Amino acid sequence: MSKHNVSRRQFLSYTLTGVGGFMAAGMLMPMVRFAVDPVLKADAGGDFIATNQKVSDLTTEPKRVDFTYEQTDAWYKSEETKVAWVYKDDNGKIVALSPVCKHLGCTVDWNTDKSNPNQFFCPCHYGRYTKDGVNVPGTPPVAPLDVYDYNEKDGMLYLGQVKPHKGA
Amino acid sequence: MRWTPKDIDTFDKAREYIDTVLVPLVPVAFENGMKQSASMYDFITLLTAAIEHQFKGRIMLMPSLAYLSSVDIDKRMELVNDWKNEIGSFQNIYFITSDSEWKAREPEFAGTLIWMPSIPLEHFGEEQVRTMVGDQARQVFDLFKRKWNEA
Ligand code: FES
Repeated sequence: MSKHNVSRRQFLSYTLTGVGGFMAAGMLMPMVRFAVDPVLKADAGGDFIATNQKVSDLTTEPKRVDFTYEQTDAWYKSEETKVAWVYKDDNGKIVALSPVCKHLGCTVDWNTDKSNPNQFFCPCHYGRYTKDGVNVPGTPPVAPLDVYDYNEKDGMLYLGQVKPHKGA
Repeated sequence: MRWTPKDIDTFDKAREYIDTVLVPLVPVAFENGMKQSASMYDFITLLTAAIEHQFKGRIMLMPSLAYLSSVDIDKRMELVNDWKNEIGSFQNIYFITSDSEWKAREPEFAGTLIWMPSIPLEHFGEEQVRTMVGDQARQVFDLFKRKWNEA
């Protein structure tokens, strides 16, 4: 038993500290990077994803738009659901905001805080944002909500990558 | 937050904001009830993922606490109490399950047990699954919001 242990330990120390270790690390690192970065990889082309939202149905009232795409996460393929808050601003321009709170990442709602109507509201630590996505000073979030790239095709709304808010 | 090194880093920097832990209780059965236990696991996994997604910044979702259905409920209760004691530093601890056996022990959980009837998701398409799990999740959202508002 003890003899077996020693030889195994020796074997491990050779492989981990010797040339073999370097080789193994060299082989593993690129794979690890792929495994942890599926989102970046998928978005690299900047593709737009179709939603069920007709552009003509959008109003000045933010509407929750859910859309899904397939994500490959190492070995798993899964349908990832994303959410956007979409409306037309006073000039008729589409605004699509990410609902991910810039404090710690909860999903924000529109107009659910009775004492602060017509704002985005985060239920976790009561962070707030004005309709244009800018964080209200004095609440926990430190940056405005991210903004989706968007596209219109055959009257339907397509959403792309999230970018930092321009007001930031 | 999920139980990943990346989220734990965030947690370490923002402990005071993440005051709620959610522990899924998942029964595992062989022979009788194998399929049903797999179905419950499927449901609870999706449900808790939806909850974590909504409340990422305030809830820490733990790895599922899995146990054999054949193990005596008293023993399992001990296990739960061990977790409770260990996680005691969080202000709110919740256990979530579809296993009806826990319901009889609800008083011992002192308000920390969330029981959700399992839906056999394998009978539905992806779109329907999303809607159904979403509906169930919304009930839990409301519960958390209420609890946090009380505090
Ligand atoms: S996560 Fe939104 S306010 Fe903290």
